[in-house]
Amino acid sequence: MQHTTIEKSIPLMAILTLILVSIGGIVEIVPLFFIKGTIEKVEGMRPYTPLELKGRDIYIREGCYNCHSQMIRPFRDESERYGHYSLAAESMYDHPFQWGSKRTGPDLARIGGKYSNEWHKAHMLKPKNVVPESVMPAYPWLLENTLKADDIEKRMQVLAKVGVPYTEEQIKNAKTDLTAQASANADGSGLTQRYGAKVPKADFDGQPDRITELDALVAYLQMLGTLVDFSSQQATTR
Amino acid sequence: MADNNTVGTTGHQWDDDEGFPLQEYNNPLPKWWLYSFWATILWAVVYWVLYPTWPLADGFTKGILGWSMHGEYQQEMDAAKAKQKVFNDQLAKLSLQEIRKDNQLWQYAISGGKALFGDNCAPCHGSGGVGVKAGGFPTLADDDWLFGGDLDTIHETVANGRTGQMPAHLQAAGGSFSDAQVNDLTAYVLSLSGINADKTAAARGDALFHGDAACNACHGDKGKGSLKDTVNGQPPPPVGAPNLTDKIWLYGGDPGIVRDSIAKGRTGFMPAWAKGSKESGRNLDPLAIKQLTLYVHSLGGGQ
Repeated sequence: MQHTTIEKSIPLMAILTLILVSIGGIVEIVPLFFIKGTIEKVEGMRPYTPLELKGRDIYIREGCYNCHSQMIRPFRDESERYGHYSLAAESMYDHPFQWGSKRTGPDLARIGGKYSNEWHKAHMLKPKNVVPESVMPAYPWLLENTLKADDIEKRMQVLAKVGVPYTEEQIKNAKTDLTAQASANADGSGLTQRYGAKVPKADFDGQPDRITELDALVAYLQMLGTLVDFSSQQATTR
Repeated sequence: MADNNTVGTTGHQWDDDEGFPLQEYNNPLPKWWLYSFWATILWAVVYWVLYPTWPLADGFTKGILGWSMHGEYQQEMDAAKAKQKVFNDQLAKLSLQEIRKDNQLWQYAISGGKALFGDNCAPCHGSGGVGVKAGGFPTLADDDWLFGGDLDTIHETVANGRTGQMPAHLQAAGGSFSDAQVNDLTAYVLSLSGINADKTAAARGDALFHGDAACNACHGDKGKGSLKDTVNGQPPPPVGAPNLTDKIWLYGGDPGIVRDSIAKGRTGFMPAWAKGSKESGRNLDPLAIKQLTLYVHSLGGGQ
């Protein structure tokens, strides 16, 4: 075909451009949906508990992803600091995932359990109180705002629609589980039966009489990266 | 005049400005450009052979070099491990006390410990272990210890964590003492470190301290804490009760803060860091715990 023919016909040029660009997309993206091993088979992954899910919503609302990534890349300097590199399986229930693209603060993919609840509370109220060199802003309203969770069942139903395996029972008991997880003393047998024994259950914000946004956020932070048991997980070389 | 027959044109002429026609040349591509272009395509084919590239129905072509990102990562990790092996073997074999005596090994351990501390411990204990009063995170750079500053005790603290056990005393907070009694206790505790307090209130607090409230059971008869004091001639249980007679405060020495500690109790929490311990999200390996121990011990207060 003569170059002139293409250059002189806008529709033809548009069609050929589209075909060319599509090849790139098709080759790079489509196979990911079919290749086995795109998402590793791992033990321990579970959907977020209702409280963690609300915490995650607050994480997104406050724009934490602007400064914190949740993606440990497979380099020595990263895993020496943050732990095992992130697996695709670890964000398979994330809609949308929170990998982020910029680290003004540290990566949070495995922050869970690293610091105490008290530390997270002190840190959220005023980061400079605990880390004097920090540039992170304070989030004192998280401790004041009572957690609004009246839409929790709906949130879980929507996530179930896009593939998160929430059961009927989990959705039905969402409010009970949410309250149980945010209290050190409440009966958590239903919660652990539905989400496993490893679910961190505590009065995360140190205010036993109410459930605040801080309860939810800390619950979310405290489970990040803790689900997959790497001692039994075989390193998947790909 | 126009002599442009040596190079072809596209044939279209926009204008003829007195013998200088405005028209578009149709030059062939420069040779260097064309060959570079073909070279990049050739390189793409070579790349397909060498590296993982083409997706297949159930996987992808692996490439003859057998390169993988995770493989490269593993090599990097193994290489670092091999380099540190000579020291790490020693660290694993020797006791903390022995490492402390071997200057080269000790330097190696505390420089590793410093990096580990910066990431894992500094958020609570501050850079260099200066402590953070806002959350009751103790300073590690002085010689005022709660559980003990010898190598083995520090190791135990880092590996398995600690939990503060100061109970609440105010009735409203679940304790069994009235507002006035808590005020008396506060006055007494303040007086222990020489802070001016109401003398009669402090005297009533003294009676409570050694009586109904039984503060001395943990803080000792003189209030010097579980490490330095005695109760009826016996050492108090090792619960990390602080010395109340020095001017070092874990949460702050303002009367309001001291009263808060007595009224509502304090349950400061140090997570466990050793691999396999339940609460730990970090799972530091035994070598890392040893390095951290030696580093903390080196901060100024090691015994």
